[in-house]
Formats: sequence, C-alpha cells, structure tokens
Amino acid sequence: MRRLWEFIHPYRRTFWASAFVLPIASALMLVQPWLLKVAIDRYADRGDAAGLTGNAALFLLAVVGEFLALYVQYWLTMVVAQNSLADLRLALFRHVQRLPQSFFDRNPVGRLVTRMTTDVDVLNEMFATGSMTIFMDGLTLAGIVGVMLWIDWRLALVTLSAVPPLLLAIDFFRRRARVTYRLIRERVARINSFLQEAISGMSVIQLFAHEGASYAEFLEHNGAHRDAYHLSNVYEAMLFAIVEMTASISVALVVWYAAGQIRGGVVAFGTLVAFIEYIQRFFVPIRDFSAKYAVLQSAMTAGERIFQLLDTPVGIESSEGARRPVPGDPERGSVEIEGVWFAYKRDDFVLKDVTLRVRAGEKIAIVGATGSGKTTLTKLLNRSFDATRGRVSVSGIDVLDWELRGLRREVGVVLQDSFLFTGTIGENVFPEGRPPQDEIERILRAANVEGLVASLPHGLEERVGERGSNLSSGQRQLLAIARALAYDPRILVLDEATSSVDAESEHMIQEALDRLLAERTAIVIAHRLSTIERADRIVVMHHGEIREVGTHAELIALGRIYARLHALQYADADQAAGSAT
Amino acid sequence: MRYEGVVRRLLGYLARYRRRSAVGVLCLIVTASLAMAIPRLLKAAVDSIDPSRPHESGHAVAWYALGVIGIAIVQAIARSISRFTIFNVGRDVEYDLRNDVFAHLERLPTSYYLAHPTGDLMSRLVNDIGAVRMMLGPGILNLLNTPIYYLWAVSIMASIDPLLTVAALLPYPFMLLVVKHYSRRLMEGTLHVQEGLAEMSNAIQENTSGIAVVKAYALEDRSIERFSALNTSFRKSSLELGRVRGVLAPVFRSVSALGTLVVLWLGGSRVAAGRLGIGDLVAFIGYLHLLAWPTMALGWMLSIVQRGRASLRRLDEILDTSPEIADPVDADPAAEVAAVAPSAHANTPAIRATAGNGNGNGNGGGALAVSPPSPVRPRTLRGAIEFAGVSFAYPGGRRPALREVDLRVPAGATVALVGRAGAGKSTLLRLLPRLFDPTAGVIRIDGEDLRQFPLAELRRSIAFVPQDPFLFSTSLRENLAFARPELLAKGEAGFEDLRRAAERAAVAGDIEDFSRGYETMVGERGITLSGGQKQRVTLARALLVDDAPILVLDDSLSSVDTRTEARILAALEERRRGRTCLLVAHRLSTVQDADLIVVLDEGRIVERGDHASLLRARGLYADLFHRQQLTAELEEI
Repeated sequence: MRRLWEFIHPYRRTFWASAFVLPIASALMLVQPWLLKVAIDRYADRGDAAGLTGNAALFLLAVVGEFLALYVQYWLTMVVAQNSLADLRLALFRHVQRLPQSFFDRNPVGRLVTRMTTDVDVLNEMFATGSMTIFMDGLTLAGIVGVMLWIDWRLALVTLSAVPPLLLAIDFFRRRARVTYRLIRERVARINSFLQEAISGMSVIQLFAHEGASYAEFLEHNGAHRDAYHLSNVYEAMLFAIVEMTASISVALVVWYAAGQIRGGVVAFGTLVAFIEYIQRFFVPIRDFSAKYAVLQSAMTAGERIFQLLDTPVGIESSEGARRPVPGDPERGSVEIEGVWFAYKRDDFVLKDVTLRVRAGEKIAIVGATGSGKTTLTKLLNRSFDATRGRVSVSGIDVLDWELRGLRREVGVVLQDSFLFTGTIGENVFPEGRPPQDEIERILRAANVEGLVASLPHGLEERVGERGSNLSSGQRQLLAIARALAYDPRILVLDEATSSVDAESEHMIQEALDRLLAERTAIVIAHRLSTIERADRIVVMHHGEIREVGTHAELIALGRIYARLHALQYADADQAAGSAT
Repeated sequence: MRYEGVVRRLLGYLARYRRRSAVGVLCLIVTASLAMAIPRLLKAAVDSIDPSRPHESGHAVAWYALGVIGIAIVQAIARSISRFTIFNVGRDVEYDLRNDVFAHLERLPTSYYLAHPTGDLMSRLVNDIGAVRMMLGPGILNLLNTPIYYLWAVSIMASIDPLLTVAALLPYPFMLLVVKHYSRRLMEGTLHVQEGLAEMSNAIQENTSGIAVVKAYALEDRSIERFSALNTSFRKSSLELGRVRGVLAPVFRSVSALGTLVVLWLGGSRVAAGRLGIGDLVAFIGYLHLLAWPTMALGWMLSIVQRGRASLRRLDEILDTSPEIADPVDADPAAEVAAVAPSAHANTPAIRATAGNGNGNGNGGGALAVSPPSPVRPRTLRGAIEFAGVSFAYPGGRRPALREVDLRVPAGATVALVGRAGAGKSTLLRLLPRLFDPTAGVIRIDGEDLRQFPLAELRRSIAFVPQDPFLFSTSLRENLAFARPELLAKGEAGFEDLRRAAERAAVAGDIEDFSRGYETMVGERGITLSGGQKQRVTLARALLVDDAPILVLDDSLSSVDTRTEARILAALEERRRGRTCLLVAHRLSTVQDADLIVVLDEGRIVERGDHASLLRARGLYADLFHRQQLTAELEEI
C-alpha cells in the first residue's frame, strides 16, 4: 500500500479533497434522524405546522446535500484511482519494455499480461467498490454511536447491546467467507485457464478423440467452481440474514425500553423514532464490511505482485555518461569482439573466447551448424545480452558505454521471422513516423515493395492482420527489409531466411537485400552458398568457437572445414548435373 | 418471439431444480411477509404506549417487542434459506449451461475456430454465462420479491392512511426509472471498459511476443506511446463508468430518505392536526425503508434481464451452430459406443439430461454423462489412403489451398509431401482426420469414404503430430498419456508405455533431466520447453495412439537438430513397418528414403517419384534440394 501511495501522490490534492468530503456526507446523513426527532417532538406533537415545514426543508437540504456529497466523493475517488492506475499501468509497461531478453525467455507472455491488466484491475475494484472507505465506515459508525449516546445514553446502550454478539457472529462468518473467497478466486482462475487452453487446443483434443476425457475434466473444474460459490452463497446468505435479524432485534429492544421511559416522561416519542432510524443506518456498513474486506485483501495480493514486477532489475541499461560516436569518426561502422565468452546458463558456454574484428563497410558471412553460437554472437552486438567475459565494441565504443538507444540505432537486425505488428503497413515499415514522400518512395522502391503497396486498396494504410496473416511469407520478408532500410543502421545483422518462397519472391528478396547491404557493415548468418561466396570474409563457427576466418580463396586454400563444405556442394551439384545427362 | 424461446430454454434448465426452486420461492414469500409484519407490530407497540395506564401498557409493549424478536429469528432462517437456495440454483444452471456449451464446442470443427477467436469464445463462456446467471439468481429473487413487498406494504399502508401512502410512494416510480436508466448505462459502460481492457491485453500480448523486434529496432518509445494512447482511452471510459456508478450508489439512500421526508412533512402535519398517531408514522417510515431496496432492485433487474437475454442469444449462436463435421447418420451401433463426445448423439445438445447433477457434487454428476472409451477395438483398418480430385479452400480464403489433388497411398507405404511454404502440404494432411472436409472430391481409407467412419474411430486410427506442438498446462505424464488416459491409472505398466514412447521420440533423456521428471508441469504454471522438446513430446504423445494404422507427421521435427531427427526416424523405422506414413518435412534429407515423394506447389501436385528420379528431373524438388544442401552439410561438421 505504501508503494501505491507513490502513484496516488501526484493526485494527492484530489485524494484529500475526497477524504474531506466523506465526513461531510456522514454528518449530513447523521443529521436526518435527528431532524425527524425534532419534527416529531417540537412541531408535530405540538401542532406547529410552520415549524414542521421549515424542518422538512432542512431535511430536504440534508438529503440533497448527502446525495451530492456522496456523488462528489465517489467521483473524486475515481479521478484519483483512474489517473494513478493509468500511471501505474504505464510505469509497468515502460518497465517491462526495458527488461532484458532473458526475462522474456523465463516468463510466459500470459503471466505478464495478467500482471499489467487483471492485477491492476483488482486494484481498481478496490476503489470502485468503495473498499478504500472501509476506514471511513468506521468513522460513520462511531458518529452514529456518538449521536445516540448524546441524545440518550441509556437508550443507546440498550440499542447497542445486540452489537457484541453480532460482531462475534460476523467474525465467525468472515473467517469462513475469507476461505471461500480465496477458493473462488483459485477456481475461477483454474476454470478460465482450462477453457482458454481447451479452446485454443481444440483441434488437438479432437485429433486424439479426447473429447470425453476433456469433458470429464471440465466437469470437474466447473463443478469445483460451482461448489465454491455454493458454499460462499450459504455464508453470505446467513451473514446477511443475521445482520438483518440483529437490526430488527435492536429495534424491538429500543421500543421496549423506550416505552418505559416515555411512560416515565423521560424520553420523547421523537427520540424513539430517531433511534429506529439510526439503527437502520448503523447495520448497513456492518453488513458490507466482509465483502469490502475481501476486495481489500485481494487488492493487497495483486499490489504485491505488481510491485514485484516493477522491482525486477532491468539488468541491461545505458551506463552513466553513456556515449555516442562523434560524427565523421572513421571508426563508425566497425565491430570489435575481443576474447568474448558467453553462457545462458552458468558455465554452459555457448561462446568460448571469440575474437573478431570487422572493418567499417565489410561484409562478413558467418557459417555454422545450429547451436554453434552464431546467433548468440550477433545478439551481443546490440546488447540483447551482455557478454559474460570479454569486450564488444561497436563503432569504436565499448557497447557497455553506448547510450542504449543509440546503439540499437547503430546496429540493425533483420530477423528471420519477420514479425509484423497489428496496424497498417505504413506503421510497420516506418514505426518511427513517416519520412518525406520522396524518401518513402525511394525506400519502397529499394525494398521491392512498391508494387505490393500500390496493389493494396488502401496502400500504406492497409491493415496488417494478426501477425501479418494476410500477407505471404515472401511479402513479409520484403516488408521487413523495407523496415530495415527506413531504419538505416550503420551495421546490419541479417539472419538469412532458410524457408523457401516462390522463385519470383526469391529474386525480389535477393535484389532488395543487395540494396540493403550496400554501403553498410554487414554480418550475415548465411545459409546460401551464393551469399557466402560474395562476402568479403567468411567466419566458420563450431561449438562456440571461431574455427576459420578468411576470404573464400584463403579458406579454400586452407583446405579445412570450409573447403570441404564447398567441395561437397559442388560435388553434389556436379553429380546431380552428371546424373541428369 | 425470441423472448419466448429464451424463456422456454431457461425453464428447461430450471425444471431440473424445481424442487429447490420451489423451496427457495416459498421461503422468499415467508421472509417478505414476515418483514411486512414488523412495522405493523412496531406501530401497535408505539400506539399502546400510554402514560396513563403504565402497567398494562408496559405488558403490551413487552409482548409486541417479543413478537418482533420472534419474527426476526424465524425471518432470519427463512431469509438465509431463500437466498442461498435461489442463488445456488442460479449457479447450478450456470454449471449446466456451461457444460452444454463446452460439450457443443467440442463438436465444432476447426473451421469454426478459425472464424471465432479464442477471446470471443472465452467472453461468451465467462461473461455471457455470468450474465445469464445474474438473470436467474438475483433476477428471480428480486422479480418475485418486489411485487410481494409492494402488495403487502401498500395494502397495510393504505389501511392506515391512503393519502399519505400515495404521497410517500410518489418518488418511487421515478426512482425506478432513474435506476433502470443508469443501470443500463452501467452495463454499457462496463462492456466498454471490458473492451478497453481486452485491447490493452492484446497490445501487451503482442508487444511481449514481439519484444525481440521492439528491442532490435529500439521501438520502445513507439510502443509506449501506443500503449499510452490505449491506456488514456481506457482511463476515460473508466471515468465515464465511474460517473454512472457514482450516481447509482447514493441513489439508494436518497430514495428512502425522500420517503421519510414526505412522512415527516405531510405525516407530521397530520399528526399535528390530530388525525394520525406517532405509531402510524413509525409504521410508514418502516415500510418506506423496506420498499426502497426492492424498488431499486427492480430497476436494476430490468436491465439485468435485458443484458441476460442478449447474452443468452450470444450463447444460442454457439449452440445453434450445427457441427458440419460429424458422425455419419447411420454409423453402426458398435462404433457409436466409441464416440466419446458426451453429446455426440443428442440432437438437442443443450437439453441433454443431466438430472443426476441436481444435488450431487460435480464429479458425481459428471461421471454419469461420460461414456468411457470403448474397450472393443473398432474394426481394424489397413491404412490404404486415396485422395480423389480433392480441392479445398479455407473459409474466407481468396485462393484455393488445394486443387484437384489425386494421390493413392498403398497401405504400409511412406509418402513424403514436399514444397514451398504455403504449397498446401499441411492442408492436405489436415483433411485426413477431418479437421476440415474437402470442398470437392473424396478421400477414402481402405476404399471407404472418410465420412462413413464415426469420427472417433477415424481419429483413433490416425496418429497425428501437428505442425504446432501444442501441449496442455499439465504434467508431462498427462500430456504424453493424452490419447490413452487409461495409462495413468495403470501404474508401473502404464508408465512403462509412456517411457517407451518418450524414448522413441528421443525426449526421455530430456524429461529425466528435469528435477521432477515426468511430473514436471508444462506451460504457464511450469517450465517452458524448447521448441524441439515440445515437438518431441507431441511426437511421443502421438506414438501412444496404439495400433493406429496411419502415422501423420506434419513438419513435426523442424526444431529438432538433424542428428536427433535421424535417431528418431530410425527409432520409428520399426514402428513404421506395416503402417501407412504421411509426412511433411522441411528438411529434404528427412524424406530421401520415402517410398514416394510428392511435390506440391500452389495446391497442385507438380512432381512425384523417388528421390533419385526427382533429382534427375531437375524440377522444383531438385531446386529445393540443392538449396538446402548447404544447411544440411553445415549440420554435419
């Protein structure tokens, strides 16, 4: 709760204003039965019609005033709640954006979504149901007791004599209800996640003719869900009934005791009526207490989880005094990797003492089997991960000293699976906003998507389906190239796609890639011989180590891994050609 | 007309719980009637206070007070019974309705799920069913309660002072309308807020899934900006909702206070004029308090019923969708036992009798409804497959995914499907277990049209490993035994089967490395498996489909490295013997040994033959093969 205050703090004036209005509402409520008492004793009993009208006017004022005060109070609370929760959500989102890649590898997407939406919504519920006012309710109760004591302390004591046993009963039910609330929360979560999964995996259920077993499992979840509610309904109904009963008993006691006092002339009729009114108002907050308390409790748990996420250390951040390269620096575009070691899991090194220097403008092809460490190596360049040991420099500056945003502008990555976001084509290609029209045209032309965009009814404004589902894989790759062109990094890391697309797209992709790579430093994780042969240098990786580095000719002359690969390729091609003839 | 249908459907559900409903309603009537007696007794008590005759008056008041206490106690009992009985019936109907909708969903084909996103179905199963329950529990309670209260209260009040009755009740109809209006706005506002929440969830979901791209392109600010826009509009709609809630909450207090005001002013002046006693005022104030809540509740209920009807309609949309892919009408009876979908042979799934559930617990009721998988093996298929002129287009798809495919696979043969992404390979495989039915053409197994087989029998004859390795968030053991849940109960022997399958799929080692072994939980509540591990678990799961004559691998080893893949294929060699095997593979090295390789392009078969002949043909296959060779050889270093 203390942490939540940080977010309420900017709106503290409104918060205090709402806290200030609440006692006013309580006072206006308290005054009503008293007015009733005065009306009866002073005016009605004595036949003073004019005084009665004045009293009624005051009563009306009190009713309208109470309504307005309650409304204003709720409204102010909502303003505070919605603003501070919106800030909280944004802070969470901002924080999660900065968390390192390794965090996302560990935490399933669904869990993060829950933190940022459902859990924050539970906090919202706390404000919306007025559970925050649980303390204020106590104040109102104290006010009622005070006024009753002030009017007639003996009568007040008689009235309140029914309260202690009620409190015991409430405590009894509250304990049980608390257990059922927790049970309900668990079971609702369980049935929902079961349903979610069953629906998304329905084809698997059907393929394995598992409908019967899944249905049985569903019955179990659904039954447990129902049973939890059944139990809680029983407790709630009894609690409700007992509070109502106590109110009636209190009224009966008051009437009985007051009757004696009235006969003795000690108490007036008006007092009795006022007391009956106070009793009605006294039991409402008591009845609502357990429900409010439950909301408050789940809000605490949700808050705890939220702040835990907010406290997760970011890990990879710009260092203090972060640098950007000086314009015109000849080092711009170079990459230096010196004695780098890296392990995802402790001591399980994926990179072992890797050293590689890439000059500005050089084209490097990295060749290696799956798991040889080639993808990991490229991930160190833009600080998706930090090296366990060793040094990585980009454009002459140690990546640790780079201003992080600047570094990621310097090193562009074109990923194999070209992820497109929901939105328009334009937003996907130019996520940072549209450049001037002639620039847009140049980029679209260079990426060979000019024709595609022109063929779409809405052009750049055409919506992309969920993850680009309405585009072919070739088209998605071309758009990813366009995005990289618009991004215009000095150094480009490219994971060459292995998936095959039709021959025409293939040609267009190759052409667009050539334009993208021109005038940039390029590090390509290569899968095609043609790409490899055109590189300035070839790096052969194996089991986390660089085994060979050199030009095509040098490596052929070296006569080891690369030479063997090359020979095999041509042998096969020759053989295929030979057998065809 | 729609209204009648809705009522009939609900009455059908309620009828199962008629005894308890009757008890609840009876108790409700008792509670309301007793409640009405209290102000009347208070009036009598106050009236009997007479300072001139202290002794008798004291006695009378004491008796009246005791009467009130007695009534309060009886009322408390009746009230708690009526409340929980009626609310619980609401929960029971919710339970039945949700079961029926789920059972129906299990029968709907894959095309239905393509057209209805998970989020939409979830919202129907959670929010809409919840709205129907609200209509039944609190709805029925209040719709009955309010008239009873009014009937009693108005008649008693009128007997005391008709004019005052009319005057005091004047604000009430007005309140009813106000509450109805605002509660409708409340629901609309709630829906709006829920939509906003869903939009934010989607944004977070997408952003988190694509975090690698976001980071690589330093798009954090851009994402934050977008999220911030959604967040702001969500805040706006929440505040809008807050405005409505803010009116509704204090209205309750004001209603009863306004009634009191009228009694105070008009009633007071009549007391002043000597035409009314103080006891009458007490009674009036009491009745007005009692009526305030039922009046509010009625307004609230009117909009709840509206919402509930709309929700029921949305549920009907699911229940009224008839499964296009279902068992043949004249499926032979032996096979029907094997059809395990609980309502597979009921024509009106929603009204399937689950009478046993009425007062039993969930498990007991459930067990009745599920027929166990048939112990009798359905007739044994040999596994000869024939596609004859098969064409297929995805619903809403612009171009056909398959065009006139003719393919004959002899029983026991291994056929590999090859082609570029989007060529139609997976689609062809998905037609076999009837995840979809072809738009044109026929598929036959052992010479018989697929549609002639009961679905469960057909699907049990096919061990299918889908492209997307979907696992459920349970233990690995339960995931493996998915096709044969009976293995879980068999102890050691059953476990041995699971382990053997895991071994064949080369995932046993991985599983045994986990600290909890086969009990390791997968997914949201457990560990995240790598792509290759998931694929191998799904393979093991399919291998447990016992004696299935057909094995289908839909590019199921793409994330497994070449060496492991070779090991798996070798382990499968023995299993594949005598079985028909259809496989799609990304890596052509995998398919070289197939009896027949079929090359698909744009939904058509463009080449077929064995590896050597296709290489010689120098067509698409040869092209693909050479392109992949480098990758293959890299793996070999």
